[in-house]
Amino acid sequence: MKKLYTTRKYSIRNLRHAKRSLRRQLAFKEYKRLKNKADIGVSKQERSYKKKFEEPFKDYKRIHAPENFSFIENSAGVVDFISKLKSHFDEKKKVFVVLKKVKTISYDAIVVLLSIMVRFKATKIDFNGDFPENEEARRILTESKFLQYLYQSFRDEDRYQLGQNSSIVTHAWKDVDSELGNELIKNASKTIWDEERRCQGVQRTLIELMLNTNNHADDSKKGEKHWWLSVHHDKVNKKVSFAFIDFGVGVFTSLNNKRHGSKFFGIVDKLKERVKFGSNADLLRLIMDGTLHRTATGKPYHGKGLPGINKARERNQISNLNIITNDVHASLDTDSFKIMSKSFSGTFVYWELNNENLNCHGEN
Amino acid sequence: MEKIKISIRKDFSPTPGPRYIHEGKFSGELFRQQVLHPRVSEAVEKNIPFEVDLDGTAGYGTSFLEESFGGLIRIHGLPYEKIKSLMSLISIEEDYLIDDVNEYLKDAYEESKK
Repeated sequence: MKKLYTTRKYSIRNLRHAKRSLRRQLAFKEYKRLKNKADIGVSKQERSYKKKFEEPFKDYKRIHAPENFSFIENSAGVVDFISKLKSHFDEKKKVFVVLKKVKTISYDAIVVLLSIMVRFKATKIDFNGDFPENEEARRILTESKFLQYLYQSFRDEDRYQLGQNSSIVTHAWKDVDSELGNELIKNASKTIWDEERRCQGVQRTLIELMLNTNNHADDSKKGEKHWWLSVHHDKVNKKVSFAFIDFGVGVFTSLNNKRHGSKFFGIVDKLKERVKFGSNADLLRLIMDGTLHRTATGKPYHGKGLPGINKARERNQISNLNIITNDVHASLDTDSFKIMSKSFSGTFVYWELNNENLNCHGEN
Repeated sequence: MEKIKISIRKDFSPTPGPRYIHEGKFSGELFRQQVLHPRVSEAVEKNIPFEVDLDGTAGYGTSFLEESFGGLIRIHGLPYEKIKSLMSLISIEEDYLIDDVNEYLKDAYEESKK
């Protein structure tokens, strides 16, 4: 046995092991030296206070939120923030979100923050953060109940509802929930028109988005990914904004991954043969105006998914429609389709309902 | 002649949902199985007109209507021409839905011919 360990193979292994061990010991020694140095002259009580209150998150990875925390105005900044959080989530590292320097936070960013926080907490990865110094930004975060949820634990569930009795309500689920859509519209119409009305364009938008997440967000299995929806009621301006997000594969990745047998299999290549388009921005334009569906089926446009939502906008049933998916940010009202420097793995959709949008009187 | 009347709101749900049953409540598949197919096939059998009222709901996803109406031909194999001649649609609140439903029926018919 002893002879075995003295062979060349094991002597190399032992040497490598000893070197590594020494390196670790020296690193720890240096850490203890610095720690002891910092604690010189500090009483035991003061040391325990410091550990508990001043440096409770020192072993967390600090991620800085962008100063302009708006997915629509600063999509590249928010995508960068999300991708940093995602990489730490994948590595199961504790995260501390630094919101201190945030100057503006828009309502569309709330759904991003809440959904990420719940994903971390439900996976039992520590997640914490500080508060913006800017008063308005802090007020919006308080309204969303983000600060309250920061200290709560979450279980891995299919369904979440956050911010009840607040002006910002957030829901998450995996299935299509038409009854929830109906309730949200009833509440929205009370904010806008002071009475319950029906807004079929909003209902269509909600159903199509929930269905897209259910069917396409995860390539391997349907109904695996959560969709998240935050609704903000602006009673002063009589406007309700909806921000929807899923962290699936995104529209273009989903199209490229279509399997043999799907009517969208090889659609991007098929489309390239018939219509000229350069980037994903051009492709999203073709999806929104129904060209892609027409090409896929070889039949006239008949309003599916995303084109169906765009039709609702064209009919003035919803306003200010924005879509961010993979590397494209589309602002449909201004017909702007832009390529972003960073790619977002998922789909984000924002729209508003105001008193000029079409609606129907009477309860259903 | 007596007419068969179907109201999606009254006979099924004020909140129609997704395409398939496994995707969520009040799906087009369920509506077709429970309400639309039994009544439309009765109308086709007896050769009496039928009316589908789309008004009064919270709104429709495109796939609910496609699955409901297109499925009559695609799944149940009901005759397109017969459906077209006997069916009348009411959609005052969302008039564009009438064109959509007719398109879904036509597409399913074209598809069934292949």
